[in-house]
Amino acid sequence: MAALLDVQSVAKAFGGLQALSSVSFTVGAGEIVGIIGPNGAGKTTLFNVVTGVYPPDRGRVVFHGEDVTGAAPHRVCKLGAARTFQVSKPFAALTVLQTVRIGALNRIPDMAGATRKALEVLELMGLAAKRDEPGRALTVMERKRLEMARALATQPSLLLLDEVAAGLRPNEIQDMIALVRGIAAGGVSVLIIEHVLEAVLRLSGRIVVLNHGEVIAQGRPDELVNDPRVIDAYLGEAYSLA
Amino acid sequence: MIGLDVILQAGLSGLFMGSVYALIAIGFTLVFGVTNIVNFAHGNFVMAAMFVTYLLFKTAHVDPYLGLVVVLPLFFGFGALVYALVIRRIVDAPHSAHMMVTLGLLIFLENLANLFFGGDLRGITTSYTTSSLVVGAVSVPIARLGAAAVSLAAVVALALVLHRTSLGKAIRAAANNPEGAALVGIDVGRVYRIAFSLGTAAAALAGAVVMPFSLVSPFVGGEFILKAFVIAVLGGLGSVAGALIGGLLIGLVEALSSLYISASLGNAIVFAILIAVLLYRPWGILGQARV
Amino acid sequence: MTLAVAGLAIALVLPVAAGPHLLTATIVALHAAFMALAWNVAAGYAGQFSLGHSLFYGIGAYASTVLYVRLGLTPWAGMFVGALLAGVVGTLLALGVYRYKVHGIFFALVTLGAAEVAKGIADNWAFIKGPVGILLTMQHAPRDFFFLRREPYYYVALVMLVVMILVSLALERSRFGQFFLAVREDEQAAEASGVDTYRYKTVAIGLSAALTAFAGSFYAQFYLYISPDTVLVFEPQLTMMLGTMVGGAGTAFGPVIGSILFSGLGEALRNLPFLEGTRQVVIGSKMVYAVLLIVVLIYLPGGLVTLGQKRA
Repeated sequence: MAALLDVQSVAKAFGGLQALSSVSFTVGAGEIVGIIGPNGAGKTTLFNVVTGVYPPDRGRVVFHGEDVTGAAPHRVCKLGAARTFQVSKPFAALTVLQTVRIGALNRIPDMAGATRKALEVLELMGLAAKRDEPGRALTVMERKRLEMARALATQPSLLLLDEVAAGLRPNEIQDMIALVRGIAAGGVSVLIIEHVLEAVLRLSGRIVVLNHGEVIAQGRPDELVNDPRVIDAYLGEAYSLA
Repeated sequence: MIGLDVILQAGLSGLFMGSVYALIAIGFTLVFGVTNIVNFAHGNFVMAAMFVTYLLFKTAHVDPYLGLVVVLPLFFGFGALVYALVIRRIVDAPHSAHMMVTLGLLIFLENLANLFFGGDLRGITTSYTTSSLVVGAVSVPIARLGAAAVSLAAVVALALVLHRTSLGKAIRAAANNPEGAALVGIDVGRVYRIAFSLGTAAAALAGAVVMPFSLVSPFVGGEFILKAFVIAVLGGLGSVAGALIGGLLIGLVEALSSLYISASLGNAIVFAILIAVLLYRPWGILGQARV
Repeated sequence: MTLAVAGLAIALVLPVAAGPHLLTATIVALHAAFMALAWNVAAGYAGQFSLGHSLFYGIGAYASTVLYVRLGLTPWAGMFVGALLAGVVGTLLALGVYRYKVHGIFFALVTLGAAEVAKGIADNWAFIKGPVGILLTMQHAPRDFFFLRREPYYYVALVMLVVMILVSLALERSRFGQFFLAVREDEQAAEASGVDTYRYKTVAIGLSAALTAFAGSFYAQFYLYISPDTVLVFEPQLTMMLGTMVGGAGTAFGPVIGSILFSGLGEALRNLPFLEGTRQVVIGSKMVYAVLLIVVLIYLPGGLVTLGQKRA
C-alpha cells in the first residue's frame, strides 16, 4: 500500500546551518506518526518543507503519489495536507467563524456551505460560543483550538500538528489527546510534532526521532523509549510511561 | 557630440549635489534603520531649514554657514519634539500608519510654510553665490563646493559618532535588536528620540548649505524625499555608508543624464532603477541578503 | 441601514436646494469617496498598501479623453476601455512585483516608483500632448458625457458612488473578499489554509486599478483639462488614502465618511463667500486636517467608522 506522505532524503540548509540532512520517513493512511527531538532538531523546518513554505535543497516530498516538492503551500493544502503553526497565527481582525470559514472555502466553493462546515468544525472544537469574537481577543488555548479548527475545516487527509500540547495543563493535555484521537478516528492521518512526551507517546503508532536535522531512530513508542540513542539525545534519564 | 569638459563639469556638479543628497538620505536611512519608521516628512525638514536659513539671511544678514549655529540645535530640538509628540506613539503601529502619519506631518509643514511665506520660489544671494574657482577646464562653484564639503564632513562626523562613541553603540544596538538592547539597560525610547533628532538635524544641515544656490518654496520637500527614498533603498535601507555611495551615484546620474535627456525622463529612469533594486536586490548595494 | 437610506434620500434631492458652491463641494466629495473605495479594495480589504494608484487614475483620465479626442469615442464607453486598460496594467504590474515577494514599505515604494515612471513617460509622450495636457470643450453633449450644468455631473457621481458601495458590500460577503481579508491578516496562514495568495493579491490590485480608472475619466469630463501634472501626480493618491485611512480602511462606509469630511468639506471651505482671508482659511484648514489625520491614526487606528464601538 502506497504511503500517504513519502518524505525522501530531504535536506535543507540556511546559510551555514544544515537544518535537515537526508530525512526520510513515511506516513500511511490512518496512521498517527509522531516527530520528536530536542529544540533545534529541525522539526518545524521539516513541516515547512513538507507543506511548501520553502523547497528542500535536495530530496523529494511525495503526497498522495504526487511530487509536491517545492509546491506552493496553498497547493499542498488543496491536495489535502493542512498544518498548524507552533506559535498560533490567528487572523487577528477576523471573527472565529470567518477564520474557520476561510479554511472551509478550501473545498467548499459557496459561502453558505462553507459557513455550515465552519460551524460544524467549531462545534467539534468547542469554539462555537466564540464564533463572533475577533481572533485577537482569544486566549492562547483558544488560539490553538482555532488553529486546529481552521486546518480541519480544509478537510485534509493529513493533518500536521506543531506542538499543540505545549503549555497545557495536565487535564488539558488529556483533552487534546482525546481530540486528536477523535480526528484520526474520523479518517484523517496525523503527523504530530510534540515536546510533551506523554501526548506523543500515547497518541503515536510510530515515532520519528530527529536530532541535528537527522533521523536517529524510528519505531513504535515502546521500542524507542528504551533505545539508547534516543535516550542519549533527548530523554536524558530513562523515562517511563506512568 | 558633447565635449569632455562639459561632461567633467556635469560630473563635478553631480558629485557636489550628490554629497548633499547623501546627507539627506543618511538622515532618512538612520531613522529607518533604528526605529523602522519611514519618515515621509523628511524632505520637508530640509525645506523648513531652507526657509529658516532664508529668514536669518533676509532679516539679520546671517550667512547660511554661520546660521548653522542656530539652525542645527533648533532642528535637533524640533526633531526631538516631533518624536515626543507624534513618532513615539506610532513606533509599534503597522507600516501603513507610519506612512500616513508622516504624510500628515508633510502636509502640516508644507501648509505651515505656505501660510507664512506663500507659494512662490525664494532665494538668497550671498557674496559667494555666483563665485567659482577655475581649475583647468572646469569651473568649481564655491557655494556648491562648500555644500558638498560640509555635507561630507557631517557624514564623517555621524559615522564617527555611530562607531566610536557609546551613544553610537547604543544606537546600533537598538537598531539591531531593540528587545536585546532594552535587556542590557539601553533606554531604547531615548535612543530612538536621539536618532530621530540626528536625522532631522542632518536634513536641516543639508537645507542650510544648499540655500546659497537654490530656490525654496513650500513644495520642494517632495523632490527631496523622493530622492532620499531612491538613495536609501539603493544603498541599503539602514546603511549609512550605502546612502553615501547611493547619494553620490544618484547625483552623478542626475547631472550626466541631464546632458542628454529631459529632466522628467531622467526622473523616470531613476525610479525605474528604484523598482529594479526593490525587486532584484532589496537589501541594496551594501545591505546583506536575508534568508 | 436606515441611516444609509436616509442619506440616499437626502442625496437625491440635494441639488434642488444646494447652491452652486455646495453642489460642487458634494460632487468633489462623491468623486473622492468613489476613488477612496477603489483604493480600499486593494489597501483596505487585501492589505496591499499601494502608493502608486495615481497611475491607474491617470490611465482612466487619458484613455477616455484620448479616445474621444482622436477617435470620437464617447467617454461613456471610453471610461470602460480605460478601466480595462488600467486593470490589465495593474494585473501585469502585480504579477511581476509579487513574484519577487515584496511587502510593506518595499511594495509601497515599488508602486510609487511605477507612478513616477508613468508620469515621466507621459511628460515626454507627444501622442498624449506631453506636459501641455489635453483641453476638453465645455459643451452640451450628454451622449458624450458633457453637460453644461453641474446637476447631471452630481447624479453621475452619485450613481457611481452607490454602485461602488454596493460592489464593496458584495465583495465583503463574497468568497473573494474573504480571501482578500485572509491575505491582509496573515499571508502565511492564508496560504496554509489553501488560499492562493499570489493570485488574490494580483486580482485585488487589478480590480482596484480598474475601478480607480473610472474616477479618472470622471475627473476629465468634469474638470475638462488633464495633464501629467494634474492626474499623474501624488494628489489623487493622497485623496484616496486620506479618505480611506481616516474614515476606516477595510469597510464600505469608512472611506465615504472620510472623503466627505476631508475632500467635501475642504472644497466647501475653498469657495466660502467672503473674499479676504480665504487663502489663510484654506491653508489653515489643511493644517487642521493634517493634525486631524495624525490624531485619528494614533488614537483611532481603525478610522472614524470605529467611533462609538466599545472595543478598544
